[in-house]
Amino acid sequence: MAALYRRHGGLVYRFTLRMSRDAAAAEEITQEVFLALLTQMGRFDAARGTLSTWLCGIARRQLWKYLERNDAAVLSDLDDEGAAELPCLSDGPAELLLRREAVAAVRAGMDELPPMLREVVILCALEEMSYEQAAQVLEVPVGTVRSRLHRAKARLAHLLRGEMANAERKRG
Amino acid sequence: MKSDRDLDEILAELGRDHRGISAPEWLEPVLFAAGGSRKRAGGKPRVRLAWGLAAAAILLAVAATAGVLWQTRGSHGPQSQQARSVAQPGLSHEPVPASTRGVGGETVHAKVVPVRRVRRGSARAIASKQPAWNSLDEFVALPVSEGLAPAAELSVVRVELRGSELQQYGLQAPADGSARNLLAEFVVGEDGLPRAIRIVR
Repeated sequence: MAALYRRHGGLVYRFTLRMSRDAAAAEEITQEVFLALLTQMGRFDAARGTLSTWLCGIARRQLWKYLERNDAAVLSDLDDEGAAELPCLSDGPAELLLRREAVAAVRAGMDELPPMLREVVILCALEEMSYEQAAQVLEVPVGTVRSRLHRAKARLAHLLRGEMANAERKRG
Repeated sequence: MKSDRDLDEILAELGRDHRGISAPEWLEPVLFAAGGSRKRAGGKPRVRLAWGLAAAAILLAVAATAGVLWQTRGSHGPQSQQARSVAQPGLSHEPVPASTRGVGGETVHAKVVPVRRVRRGSARAIASKQPAWNSLDEFVALPVSEGLAPAAELSVVRVELRGSELQQYGLQAPADGSARNLLAEFVVGEDGLPRAIRIVR
């Protein structure tokens, strides 16, 4: 158990932390995931995916329960299909020209993404999971993962373009 | 597009930072303590405050009963035994008092205080004080907990007991602690039964 936790605990914790933005909730969910592992190990099918994606899937289900309880406003925007583009942060301070601040802007932009888009960015871009692995975690087809990631990146790129345009104006 | 490339670079940078985050270390001993009984009996993890308080009350009753039995057995031993509450400074807690009538007519009071719940950040303190697991200085699984139903909620309960009472939990009493009071912490399931113990002093 300790070995499993040391090996996979980080992934579960990081995923829930980034999604919930609440360290206490992430710790609790991580604890519940590994306690569930003790009782549901028989349900794991190695032929259908890796243990890490299976645990991440359990974490995701716990996470969505948490979000439903605590963040109803976020869940009202489950997906961004047809939603308006995020406004650019073009009114931000001039120091956003710096790359460090661009990173911060993207990080903040990720937090503003709807959960369904945020989770795919976390898994594919931050955790560097393959589309197939992310599809196992999210329990959706691979094509859905691709399209969600595309939409998420489009929104983040739009935000970043706004930052850069703003920086150019300030510079000029 | 340039910003797309920038975005990929930024996401890669964020990913490196992100993957540097490790799981909280304090969870490992907590899972270890919970693991023994769960692995055997299975169960669905749920956490309820009421269960924790009930667990503390049951443990209290067990401790008080043990005190009464001990008094009943020998007239050569100490005349009274009292499990007293041990509050931990800086931690909020809700005492769960109870009492039972001793044979001699005196009331044996026992108050067990759930000093820490094994949840969220509060349990972090447990692990931070545990350099090793190979002695009673750290939490060790109780032999008597084998075969117990899974504990959906765990609480840490601090009690004072005599060293000799460790035997009722399937432990060998410490050679230097069997004749005097010990301050111990039990990891207790919501059924009131202890899963693990450590000697505080």
